[in-house]
Amino acid sequence: MSTPDAIAADEAEASNKFSFMAAVSKTPKKIQFADDMQEFSKFPTKTGRRSLSRSISQSSTDSYSSVASYTDSSDDEMSPRDKQQTTTKGSSDFCVKNIKQAEFGRREIEIAEQEMTALISLRKRAQGEKPLAGAKIVGCTHITAQTGVLIETLCALGAQCRWSACNIYSTQNEVAAALAETGVAVFAWKGESEDDFWWCIDRSVNGDSWQPNMILDDGGDLTHWVYKKYPNVYKKIRGIVEESVTGVHRLYQLSKAGKLCVPAMNVNDSVTKQKFDNLYCCRESILDGLKRSTDVMFGGKQVVVCGYGEVGKGCCAALKALGAVVHVTEIDPICALQACMEGFRVVKLNEVIRQVDVVITCTGNKNVVMREHLDRMKNGCIVCNMGHSNTEIDVASLRTPELTWERIRSQVDHVIWPDGKRVVLLAEGRLLNLSCSTIPTFVLSITATTEALALIELYNAPEGRYKQDVYLLPKKMDEYVASLHLPSFDAHLTELTDDQAKYLGLNKNGPFKPNYYRY
Amino acid sequence: MSVQVVTAKMAEVEMKDATKEKPNNVVPAAAPAAPINAALPSEPDNNTALSPLSQPVKGVPASAMKRSDPAQRPGDGAASPEGAVSEAPRTVKKQIQFADQKREFNKRPTKIGRRSLSRSISQSSTDSYSSAASYTDSSDDETSPRDKQQKNSKGSSDFCVKNIKQAEFGRREIEIAEQEMPALMALRKRAQGEKPLAGAKIVGCTHITAQTAVLIETLGALGAQCRWAACNIYSTLNEVAAALAESGVPVFSWKGESEDDFWWCIDRCVNVEGWQPNMILDDGGDLTHWIYKKYPNMFKKIKGIVEESVTGVHRLYQLSKAGKLCVPAMNVNDSVTKQKFDNLYCCRESILDGLKRTTDMMFGGKQVVVCGYGEVGKGCCAALKAMGSIVYVTEIDPICALQACMDGFRLVKLNEVIRQVDIVITCTGNKNVVTREHLDRMKNGCIVCNMGHSNTEIDVASLRTPELTWERVRSQVDHVIWPDGKRIVLLAEGRLLNLSCSTVPTFVLSITATTQALALIELYNAPEGRYKQDVYLLPKKMDEYVASLHLPTFDAHLTELSDEQAKYLGLNKNGPFKPNYYRY
Repeated sequence: MSTPDAIAADEAEASNKFSFMAAVSKTPKKIQFADDMQEFSKFPTKTGRRSLSRSISQSSTDSYSSVASYTDSSDDEMSPRDKQQTTTKGSSDFCVKNIKQAEFGRREIEIAEQEMTALISLRKRAQGEKPLAGAKIVGCTHITAQTGVLIETLCALGAQCRWSACNIYSTQNEVAAALAETGVAVFAWKGESEDDFWWCIDRSVNGDSWQPNMILDDGGDLTHWVYKKYPNVYKKIRGIVEESVTGVHRLYQLSKAGKLCVPAMNVNDSVTKQKFDNLYCCRESILDGLKRSTDVMFGGKQVVVCGYGEVGKGCCAALKALGAVVHVTEIDPICALQACMEGFRVVKLNEVIRQVDVVITCTGNKNVVMREHLDRMKNGCIVCNMGHSNTEIDVASLRTPELTWERIRSQVDHVIWPDGKRVVLLAEGRLLNLSCSTIPTFVLSITATTEALALIELYNAPEGRYKQDVYLLPKKMDEYVASLHLPSFDAHLTELTDDQAKYLGLNKNGPFKPNYYRY
Repeated sequence: MSVQVVTAKMAEVEMKDATKEKPNNVVPAAAPAAPINAALPSEPDNNTALSPLSQPVKGVPASAMKRSDPAQRPGDGAASPEGAVSEAPRTVKKQIQFADQKREFNKRPTKIGRRSLSRSISQSSTDSYSSAASYTDSSDDETSPRDKQQKNSKGSSDFCVKNIKQAEFGRREIEIAEQEMPALMALRKRAQGEKPLAGAKIVGCTHITAQTAVLIETLGALGAQCRWAACNIYSTLNEVAAALAESGVPVFSWKGESEDDFWWCIDRCVNVEGWQPNMILDDGGDLTHWIYKKYPNMFKKIKGIVEESVTGVHRLYQLSKAGKLCVPAMNVNDSVTKQKFDNLYCCRESILDGLKRTTDMMFGGKQVVVCGYGEVGKGCCAALKAMGSIVYVTEIDPICALQACMDGFRLVKLNEVIRQVDIVITCTGNKNVVTREHLDRMKNGCIVCNMGHSNTEIDVASLRTPELTWERVRSQVDHVIWPDGKRIVLLAEGRLLNLSCSTVPTFVLSITATTQALALIELYNAPEGRYKQDVYLLPKKMDEYVASLHLPTFDAHLTELSDEQAKYLGLNKNGPFKPNYYRY
């Protein structure tokens, strides 16, 4: 099992959860993690591959799409590529839908700033020394208000940024406009064509008398493009920071093939980010998603949660706290034992399928809930997926003539059996936490801060510290991300005395744990 | 910012530098990644069939859980036997300093100081079972077991125990323990056909308790020949030793050995005509040390060492670093399953139990500050929160601090809340976390106890000043009285609450024993060359197997992957299911 595969299999529960598949419904092309991994050199289509990415900021598409649309009514048919636009300062080195929307976008960014205190304090702390002075960062991520805060933070730290979108749908046009207005060269709009997509990336890399020396990527497209088109650029590049599972996987492939010619930082697997993406985020969104879509009451309900990884642990904890009777299914005996010790009944799905009121999948696997399970569920049973893409529930098997589908609300379907039994299927088996819930800005703040620190680390590392390989964020940086978020809880961290630090054999400022520590 | 570079190839999380040994319950010692997924002795089928598990599980604790009676203890009257060995001498200057004064392997360790480094959980079984054990000890005679001529009913005299006639009592203890150790019993059944340890000659040095006896007899049932000594001069249950001797295991140990006796017993284990060990099971590294010093040639035949304690593992890493380790060694202390049970699950229960037994306090609405949010701290906080306490946490590590925040605990500095809290619990692994200055500011009746590490966390020595009055209220409970009448309730004199005032469930010991048995099987059956002369972690697959053997106790039904699903995930249907760096 190659390492990336391992990541896929292991964190698969989480992996696809922020996939764009959620938004682009009914794409027949299912993503198969182990089988048909995309190769780096294959030219990826924008639709299918996206769902591999677990980049959390993708989900902001969902959360913020409604907000974003309020200015989109000014739809014109003209492609932004054909428009001549200039900022108030006269620059035209950008391409967005409508530069006049900048003011709306600024408001969005300001709202996001309030929840992203870590980045703001990073700006303050590092502003004096400008740790990114001289950095020329080319970025390709979702362009949302949160990304806006990140980009402006990078600028405040001394970097010059050029940006494009890593997803053809996820751009908030207003935010892009606001960024362009402040002088960041942004090339992105909502609803790009495939051709537009690569054009935007190309424009961001290929600035007049401007060569990037850092890459911030989400999904690996930018890395790929530079690799294909401008291999010479890599001579100047100090490092790549990559945040998505897909992108990291592609980097590992490159590294294995011996083709990676700069150091790369995998920020996806840092402890802090992992815990927030999975455990804490899902602990809240399972309740939120179910409430919004079904208004179900949880007390005393019998729930079966398939899979007891980080996502499953979060779901179980939340449901237990509301008084639900929780059953767990698991394949890994260690996780199963953990479930037992937390007081959950570990069962096989078919042992409880007749009696449960809610079925939640978070295994990262496929066909966990099959037609035969669905056939045996009781009337009114709610079925939803928190894990991975849309593979966990075999929804295709429900598309048979004898079953009637009724769309009750957005994201809620009743599937009706000939005898009148109804099963409530949420989000058509796609990810509940993306389709029916929101991702808190606080979680995105963790991601953005991690990225910013990874950039600073790579940019300032002395020659030779990082080889041409894929690295994890140093634990000390990870701890720093956490510490930047503590003030939001008014949390007061204790400091070691010199004496104590010596006793423990630690540096007073960390890192505090060995690398293998499990948290 | 200085940085240590971490290659992202996490699968090879090889932390061969066992540099800093970490405090007891808080952080495991460093360890290399498990090298290979071993083939299992038998397929773990989790279907059913494990009937022993459905047998009634109780009894043991009932008799065992009586509060230990200090009067019967050797050494310091108030100390628990385990704790006693290390920590009893109350004002001993010789504190164990983890980072600073590491002992070297070839220094001959005294039996007193070093013990407290060991976190081997089975030590604590001494506590749980000591009261049970004492019921035959009244037949005290003064003759040293070394001077006695004893034979078991089969005529063998290759053993040395206190009194072979106590065998029947010991057998009863063992039978009770068997009921709570279903995993070992299941292992006996599953592996009995093929005898995976046939030909193994195991020399062991562990605490000799009923649970160990179940392990020894399991090893015997799997085909091994065993010889055993005690790793602690106080912890032996004489009846159990007698029962083992009676059933033909050469056991050399009794309760209350002298230092000389201790090494004599170990030597008798190893030094036999016509019998050379080929496996070592050690707890604390004394046995390994002895063979290394006295019979270095023996290592030529030895296939491996299994070591369960922090100390022993630390000594092995030192050997390995010095290039002196000449056989493979297995560190079972840091396996996931064992770690979770030793720390998180065990402490989650013992914090409540320990406080109740000693103080009979009610937890609802009480304000508690827990210092440290590692595995032990997480366990304590979860239990106290569930009882309705208001829990504060102090931390030094921002990641753990953030976890505490997200779990709904207020993160504070100790001196911010010290005036208002009713209970202070330390579990940092650090020293001087609660200082005299804090103690001076506590409110009347505040309870102070230590769940973390040795006796360093609370600065108890600072309370030994003339103006403070100490009153022993109960065993393990002291009132320290300030001149103005304020009282502080100090538990176990700052030693470990969970060892001194609570019990360790047999189920937890079962996890340890099963892990040891599987490690022995793994090392013994590994093809030549799989394990080099290094210290290894138990392969993940074995760790998963330990867990799966304990699932039937919970009537838990593990789901199996279909072929299609396994292929989709790129996994083997029988595990290992997670990469090595998975955090659980």
